[in-house]
Amino acid sequence: MPFIQNTDAERREMLAAIGVKSLEELFHDIPASLRINMADASKLKLPKGMGELEVTRHIEGLLAKTKNAGDYAFFRGGGIYNHFVSTLVDHIALFDSSFITAYTPYQPECSQGTLTFIYEFQSCICALTGLEVANASMYDGASAMAEAMMMGKHVAEDKWRKEDRNTLLLAGAHNPEYEEVVRTYAHTAGIKVVNVPAGADGRIDAAALKTALTRKVFAVAVQSPNYLGVIEDVESVNQARTESEALLIQCIAEPLSLALLQTPAEAGVDIAVGEGQPLGNHQFLGGPAFGFFAARKEHLRKMPGRIVSETVDRNGKRAFALALATREQHIRREKATSNICTNQSLCALRALIHLAAWGKQGFTELAEHTVAKTQYAMKKLAGVEGVKLVNPDSPVFNEFVIQTTPGLEKKLLKKKIVGGLPLDRYGKGRRGQYLVAVTEVTTRQQIDAYADALADVLKGKAAAVTS
Amino acid sequence: MTNATNPADLLLFEASVEGRRCLRLPELDVPKVDLKQALKGAKLRSKPANFPEVGELDLVRHFKNLAQKNFSVDRNFYPLGSCTMKYNPKINVTLLAQPGFTRAHPHLPESDLQGHIELMYNLEGYLREISGLPAVTLQPAAGAQGEMTGVMVMQAYFEDRGEGKQRTEIIIPESAHGTNPATAALAGYKTVTLKSLPDGGCDLDALRAVVGPQTAGMMITNPSTLGLLEPNMVEIAKILHGVGAQLYMDGANMNAIQGVVRPGDYGVDVMHFNLHKTYSVPHGAGGPGAGPIAVAAHLEKFLPWPRPAKSTDGTFSLENPNAKTTIGKVRSFFGNYGALVMAYIYMTQLGREGVRRNAENAVLGANYIRAKLRGHYHIMNDKTCAHEVVFTDATQDKENGIHALDIAKRLIDYDIHPMTIYFPQANVTGGHGAMMVEPTETESKQTLDFFIDVMKKIAVESKENPQLLKDAPHNQSVVRLDEVRATTQPQIYCPMCMA
Repeated sequence: MPFIQNTDAERREMLAAIGVKSLEELFHDIPASLRINMADASKLKLPKGMGELEVTRHIEGLLAKTKNAGDYAFFRGGGIYNHFVSTLVDHIALFDSSFITAYTPYQPECSQGTLTFIYEFQSCICALTGLEVANASMYDGASAMAEAMMMGKHVAEDKWRKEDRNTLLLAGAHNPEYEEVVRTYAHTAGIKVVNVPAGADGRIDAAALKTALTRKVFAVAVQSPNYLGVIEDVESVNQARTESEALLIQCIAEPLSLALLQTPAEAGVDIAVGEGQPLGNHQFLGGPAFGFFAARKEHLRKMPGRIVSETVDRNGKRAFALALATREQHIRREKATSNICTNQSLCALRALIHLAAWGKQGFTELAEHTVAKTQYAMKKLAGVEGVKLVNPDSPVFNEFVIQTTPGLEKKLLKKKIVGGLPLDRYGKGRRGQYLVAVTEVTTRQQIDAYADALADVLKGKAAAVTS
Repeated sequence: MTNATNPADLLLFEASVEGRRCLRLPELDVPKVDLKQALKGAKLRSKPANFPEVGELDLVRHFKNLAQKNFSVDRNFYPLGSCTMKYNPKINVTLLAQPGFTRAHPHLPESDLQGHIELMYNLEGYLREISGLPAVTLQPAAGAQGEMTGVMVMQAYFEDRGEGKQRTEIIIPESAHGTNPATAALAGYKTVTLKSLPDGGCDLDALRAVVGPQTAGMMITNPSTLGLLEPNMVEIAKILHGVGAQLYMDGANMNAIQGVVRPGDYGVDVMHFNLHKTYSVPHGAGGPGAGPIAVAAHLEKFLPWPRPAKSTDGTFSLENPNAKTTIGKVRSFFGNYGALVMAYIYMTQLGREGVRRNAENAVLGANYIRAKLRGHYHIMNDKTCAHEVVFTDATQDKENGIHALDIAKRLIDYDIHPMTIYFPQANVTGGHGAMMVEPTETESKQTLDFFIDVMKKIAVESKENPQLLKDAPHNQSVVRLDEVRATTQPQIYCPMCMA
C-alpha cells in the first residue's frame, strides 16, 4: 500500500485493542446512507493509483506538452523573473528534508533551526528595505499588498477615530495581478480603491496625486519600479502625502532593484511589501514564492504574520522564539487584523540562502549587471526601425516598454524568442506596446537575436503592407 | 576546552567577513554603464544592503547545523494535532525540481502551458470527486486564504441576490480554530459564537435559536477541532438552508473522511482543502501550502479566475467565464502551483483506493492511541475519535502540578515532536491543558507503540520525579525560552544587518 506501512495483521491487532471489529465501525458517526460504498464505481471516480515509475512517466508526459523559459531567449517578467537559482538553494531547502518536512516552530527547543533562519531572513529584509521591522513572510507580493492595505486601515481606525478614512490610493502603474488582489480584498472589507494614473512619462502624475490626497485617504500605495518598469520618485510621494498624513506603502515586485535604489526607509515609506520570487525562488508559474513585509517600528504591533524575536532561554543562552502572538488570529480571533496563520517559511529560507550566497557585493553586482544589460537591450531594440521606447526619458531598472506593431508574438516564437509581454490587455492605448524584462540570465547574444528577429519580422510586415 | 566559537554556531551576520562570497557572475558581455547616468537621476541607496558575506563551505555548514536543531517528519514522529504531519514522498520533490516546473514562467504563451493547465484541470477533478461539489478553484495559497475566498464567495452570492446588506452574521462554534472568526470578521461579518455540547458536537437547538434572515452562514470544522466526527451534519445544513444561509466546512481535518463521505452529500456549500495536510505537500517549516476551495453549483460563478478549461479538441486553456460575477483574484497568477504539483503527484499515486485507505488508517491510528493510553491520561471525550485524539493534563495537574507543556517538553527528550498543546483552548477543555495527538496513517504500529510506551513512562515520571518534566527538555541546545521577553522586548533583526 503506498505510504502506509502497517500490514493487515497489524491492523487487526489495532482494531482488537480498540475493541471494534472493522474499520467501517470507526465511522459510525457518518450516516450509513452517506458513506461511500467502494463497490459502487459511480462514487469517488478517481483513477487507479500509480506507482513511482508510472507517475514519473505521467508527469514527464505532461511536461512534454510544455515549454519553459529555458527553451527560449526569454524577455518576459511582469512580476515573476527568470533568474538564476544557485544549486545551493535547492540542496539546502528542497533536498535536505530537515526544513521542508518540519512545521511552524511552535516548540522552540526543537525548532531552533527554523527560528534562527527566520530571524536571519527578517534581518535580510530589514537590510534590504532599511525598515526596522519585518515579518517571517506572506503568501506573495500581491496578497502582501492587500495585507498592507488591511493593516493601513487598522492603523487609520486607531489614529483618526473621528475621521472617515476609507480610501486607498493606487498611485501610478501597478501590476494588474496585484491590483486585482487588492481590489478583491478591498471589496470584502468595504474599502474604496482609487487609481491615480501614471503621467505621460510613465511616472505618477504629481498634480493628480495632490488632488486625490484628501483626508478620506488612509494610505497611498506606490509600486516602484512600477509595472511599466519605471522607477518612481517615492520620496516626492512621501512629501506629497505629508499634509494629508496618509500612510505610504511601497510595493516592490523586483527586490533586486533595492540593491541600488533608495530604500523605502530613506524615501519615508511606512510599509514596504513585495514579491520574493526573484530572491532564490523558482518560477513555478508564479508560486510558491513569498511576499516580504516590512514596516516602521511604530507599526510593529499592527503587523500581520509571524514574527521571530531573539530572546534567552532559562539558562540565559541566546535563543529565538515566535513573538507578539497576541496580534494573531489564534489568540485575537475576531479581533485579529489578519487571518494569516503561517508564512512561506521554506521560500523565505531560499531567499536567505540566495542573499548569503551572493553576499553584500555579489548582490550589488547582480543589480549592476542587470542595469547594464537592460540599457544594452533598450539601445539595441530602440535601434530597430519600427520600434521605439515608450518612456525614453524615465529611469528604469530591469524592465522597459517598447512601442511597435501589435501581433508579433507568434512570429518571434518561431525564432525561439519569447518577446516582451504584450500590454494591450493592460490598458487603452497600449496596443503594440510590450513590457520587456532582462535578468542576469539574459545574454548579449539573446538580446541581439531579439533585435534581429524584430527587424526581420517588421520588415516582413512592411513588405506585406507595401505589396 | 577552548573559548573560541565554532563558526557554524554563529549567525550568518556574525560569521560574515568582508569580501567573502559563494557565487560569481559571468563576465559582463555588454558595455559597462555609469550607474547614475543609466538610472537617469533616480535616487540611490546611501550604502549597500549589509547582507552576510560567507564562503560556500561555511554557508553549507551553517544550514546543516541549523538542520540538526530542527525536528522534522523525516527524523521524528511528529504527532502535531490538526497539522497532519504525514510522510512526504520523495518523488514529489524530485519531479518538481525539473526545469519544466522550475522555469515555467506564468507569462509563457498558453500553447506552452498545456501540460500545466491539464495538471490543474485534473487536480480540480480529483478534488471535485472527493468533495462531492461540482466546482473547484486552486488559487488560494493556504487554508486561511481558502477560508477567506470561501467567505468572499458566500458574500458575493448574497450580494448577487440582493441580500448583501441583510446577511450580517456568521455562526462559529466556540471550539473553532481562531482563523474562522478572524476570517469572518475581516470580511465584515459579525461573528456569533455557538456553544458546543459537552461531547464537542453541535447543539442543534442552540443553532436553531440563533439562525435567522440575518445569517449569512456557519463555518464548521468536521471532524471537529476536538477530533470528533459531527454526527448531525445533514441536520445542520438543513437548518441553515432553511433560513437561506450557507454552510462552510473547514476541511483542515479531511484526512479523516476523504473517500469515506463527500462533504457535498452532507449539504455543505463551500469547503476548503489543506493540500499540505491531507495531500502531503511538505509543510516547509511553516509553508508554503495550498488551500483550494470547492463549492456547490450555485456558487461557481463567483469563483476567482482564471479557471482551467478543456475544449472538445483536447486542448486546454485558462478562462474567465464569469467576468461579471467573479470575486476577482485572491493571489497572483495561479496560486502556489508548485505545491499543487506535489499534491497532484501524491494523489495520482494514491488513486481511488488509496484516498479511502488513508482515512481509514489515520482514524485507526488515533483510536489505537486512545485505547492504549486510557487510564494513563484523561481523554477529553472517550468515544470513537476521528484522525486525532485529545487528552488533557487533568490527572497529572491535579496530582503533581504537571501541565501539558511539561509533558510536551519531555517528549522532546525521547526524540518525539510534541503534540499540539496550545489548542483546543481552555474554554472548551474545562480549563485543562489539551494534548491533541494526530498520528497520521503513515506511521507504523511500532512507532505508535513506542509513542504509547513513552507517554506511559512520562505519566510515571510525573509522579516519581515531576522536576524531571519541569526541566525538560534535557538534550537540546536551549531549554524553556523566555517567550514573554520575545514579546515585551522584541528584537527582530540582527543589529549587524543595519550596519
